[in-house]
Amino acid sequence: MLSRENKGDITQVLQAVNGHETVSQESLAQIYEELRRIAASRMAMESAGQTLQATALVHEAWLRLFGANGGRWQNRAHFFASAALAMRRILIESARRKMSLKRGERAEHVSIEDVDIAQTLPDERLLMIDEALERLQKKDTELARVVILKFFGGLTNVEVAEILGVTERTVQNKWVFAKAWLLENIREVARPAM
Amino acid sequence: MDAETIREQELFDAALPLANAEERHAFLDRACDGDPDLRSRVAKLLAAHTHSEVFFQRCISDFATVAHELRPGAGADSFPNLSEEMIGTSVGRYKLLKTLGEGGCGVVYLAEQAEPVRRRVALKIIKLGMDTQSVIARFDAERQALALMDHPNIAKVLDAGATEAGRPYFVMELVDGIRITRYCDENHLTLAGRLNLFVQVCQAIQHAHQKGVLHRDIKPSNILIALHDGLPVPKVIDFGIAKAIEGRLTGETTYSYDGQLIGTPAYMSPEQAELNSVDIDTRSDIYSLGVLLYELLTSRTPFDQKNLLRLGLDEMRRTLREDEPRRPSGLLATLTHPELTIAAAQRRIEPFRLVKALTGELDWIVMKTLEKDRRRRYETANALAMDIRRFLNSEPVLACPPSRIYRFQKLVSRNKVIFASGAIVLLTLLVGLGISTRFYFKERDGRIEQTKLRQIAETARASEFQLQKEVEAREKITQASVLLSHGAMEQADALIDPIPAKLFSPSSEATVVFRSLGDWNLLQARWQKAADRYAVVVQVNQVDRAELSTVATTDLLVAQPLLIEAGDIPGYERSRKMVLARLAGTPFAGAAEQLLKTSLLLPADESIMKMMPPLENLIISSVKNYDVSQNENLWILATWRTFALALLEYRRGNFNASMDWLEKCSAYPDQTPSCVASAHILRSMNEFQLGETTPAQAELAAGKSMVDGLFAAKLELGDNKTGRLGGWIMARIFLREAKSLADASIDFGD
Repeated sequence: MLSRENKGDITQVLQAVNGHETVSQESLAQIYEELRRIAASRMAMESAGQTLQATALVHEAWLRLFGANGGRWQNRAHFFASAALAMRRILIESARRKMSLKRGERAEHVSIEDVDIAQTLPDERLLMIDEALERLQKKDTELARVVILKFFGGLTNVEVAEILGVTERTVQNKWVFAKAWLLENIREVARPAM
Repeated sequence: MDAETIREQELFDAALPLANAEERHAFLDRACDGDPDLRSRVAKLLAAHTHSEVFFQRCISDFATVAHELRPGAGADSFPNLSEEMIGTSVGRYKLLKTLGEGGCGVVYLAEQAEPVRRRVALKIIKLGMDTQSVIARFDAERQALALMDHPNIAKVLDAGATEAGRPYFVMELVDGIRITRYCDENHLTLAGRLNLFVQVCQAIQHAHQKGVLHRDIKPSNILIALHDGLPVPKVIDFGIAKAIEGRLTGETTYSYDGQLIGTPAYMSPEQAELNSVDIDTRSDIYSLGVLLYELLTSRTPFDQKNLLRLGLDEMRRTLREDEPRRPSGLLATLTHPELTIAAAQRRIEPFRLVKALTGELDWIVMKTLEKDRRRRYETANALAMDIRRFLNSEPVLACPPSRIYRFQKLVSRNKVIFASGAIVLLTLLVGLGISTRFYFKERDGRIEQTKLRQIAETARASEFQLQKEVEAREKITQASVLLSHGAMEQADALIDPIPAKLFSPSSEATVVFRSLGDWNLLQARWQKAADRYAVVVQVNQVDRAELSTVATTDLLVAQPLLIEAGDIPGYERSRKMVLARLAGTPFAGAAEQLLKTSLLLPADESIMKMMPPLENLIISSVKNYDVSQNENLWILATWRTFALALLEYRRGNFNASMDWLEKCSAYPDQTPSCVASAHILRSMNEFQLGETTPAQAELAAGKSMVDGLFAAKLELGDNKTGRLGGWIMARIFLREAKSLADASIDFGD
């Protein structure tokens, strides 16, 4: 149902989304592991009001993996693009696991006519976005890329612009538009069919 | 890609900036005429816009909850009771002997290390609830940079690790000293004594900055004074620690996990006080140094620490970002009589003299370091130290009082709405519309303000990239300046070479760097490079206040001839017009002479010639009753001024008048060789024009041998007294013109 990505083949996903071909599966797995580890250590510190920021994680992973001795990635931009994908996988997997544990709770929410998004659970919100993102990807891959880099990767407009080879202004416009599109799409899907 | 989506986004982008729903609807009606489906989709997207921003913001903060499963089994234990209980226990290979102090974020112990050497160290255990692993990781990332620091005024950070309870700790060189402010007050150090210690602190910070390490938490308790052979020696401690313990989750912030400020607000730069202050650089340390200087001078901080803490977080940040602190001398005026008497006694000075001593230059120096806009601060700790040295040596300082225009701009920016509406009211009255109902103004103001804000936002977005580049350029300048101070001219030159001139923002440091590099290239007869460097100096002078002083025109003495020497004639034509347009109103005879001379290096057209009379009059009246005591005791200045007048008459075709001025020029008791050579050459040009070929040839030969001799020897920059290299380049330019006249006269003779 929800699984649209073949878990084993991250490289394929990367190529589909990023258009670059040079990140090896091994290095992506390495980023993935590193991000997980950092996130885990962050969570140990979690307390009220604290947010886990994708940016912080990705940048820290960059520091640790790329660090002083240079890395296997073409450049920063390339690394961040890969890290954003890894972040997405980590968060979505975590959300799915939890949602499957709380299947019962979720059932009530699905029946609501026009989804009152404020009342959804965090995990649920994230999965809704991910599903809508899959739909956006079919419509416009570049918009979807911006979402992955900005939302899951926590990257700045400057960084995204560098990765996609467009202007910051374009990134900003696309990001604003994509957010509206995704929300509208989530609502659309949740509305009962006419 | 889907054409439908692209079209939707085009309409969305166009409609979004419109002021209200009505305008958007009207726009969509026009744009989607005949396509109701498209119209309805875009309308829905626009309707979703505001909510989507909030929704995504929320989702980003959901990440913490979502990733909760990643939580490892064991959480961090609560912080054990520290201090006394720990005495006698060992942390790593260090045995804790006694508590030295306890601060906001940790406890410092005297500890003993047994292996590999037996020595006493200071060991600081961080007590804030922190993620030990990442603190240590961050410290490790800096370790290499920290190891590079080797300065007598910096206490070395030796080691870092985790206690058994999982708290991060740092091990530092043990400094037996007391905080700088206490030392100064207890020992009644004079202002000069305090400034001398402060200069040493600046040098330590400069050393660290050169190694790429920021301190980020400069305050009196981190600067200890130890006595070596009875002499006070400042030691900066805690380098690299602030960086390691801050900014754990939200980039480089100064807030701990629950929003607590790490560090001491009174010493914190406005940019550090920002919640998301990713962009901290050396100038944040400069700001904190300024606060320290302020305290050394007045015994107070610019913003009172207790007041700041009372304000609460948001108000505190606002204060640091927006409120202008009092000048040090102004602050003294607010003290009660006993307070002032104590402060003065601690400095061995009478109260009124203390106020007087701070008024003026020391005020300016301090206020320059405390600028909210860090571009207006000193660019390096070294520049700050140099300015204080200049003050101590009674030389003029770089810092200067804010200009009236600058203060007005600040006033406007603080009261945008008031000024905007004020301007509109005035405009309306002047135009005489006479429609002055309250509602009209209210609505009008609101709309204009909105348009303006929208424009500001758009421009800001567009200039983000440009700013980034400027920041990089500025960093290059700082590096270049450091390289220059070490005499590494070649590296400095290579560093700034590839950066486009337009990226350099005006700063005294940029001017100094480019002038030095221009001169350096000049000495090696690399005319093109030297011309490029000086072009930046001229450009920076243009924006800087320096323009109205004679410094700007002195730079022209080199910059303008260099353009010609580098073969860039169109560049010279542009430059002389631009410079004249800007500076022709100068009230100084010296500047007028430099301007006139450098504008007439080549024959000039009508538009230039008609700018000359005001300059000419200034020069004539200065040489009429030339008072050598008013002119740096230099006759040379008069020789150049009369030469300039001779050049002007030559360009006008008044060759006899030109000869008269040249005669006066050669009659002054003191002469610069370059001026003598130029006078020979100009005389020969006049004589060729008058048909007196024989004396003309003799004058030309005399001038030529001087010019050739100079350029054959090792080049030297020279000064006002000995004559500048720029003057020789000018002579060479005139020489070429004279030679072409000579060639023409020979052709004529044939």
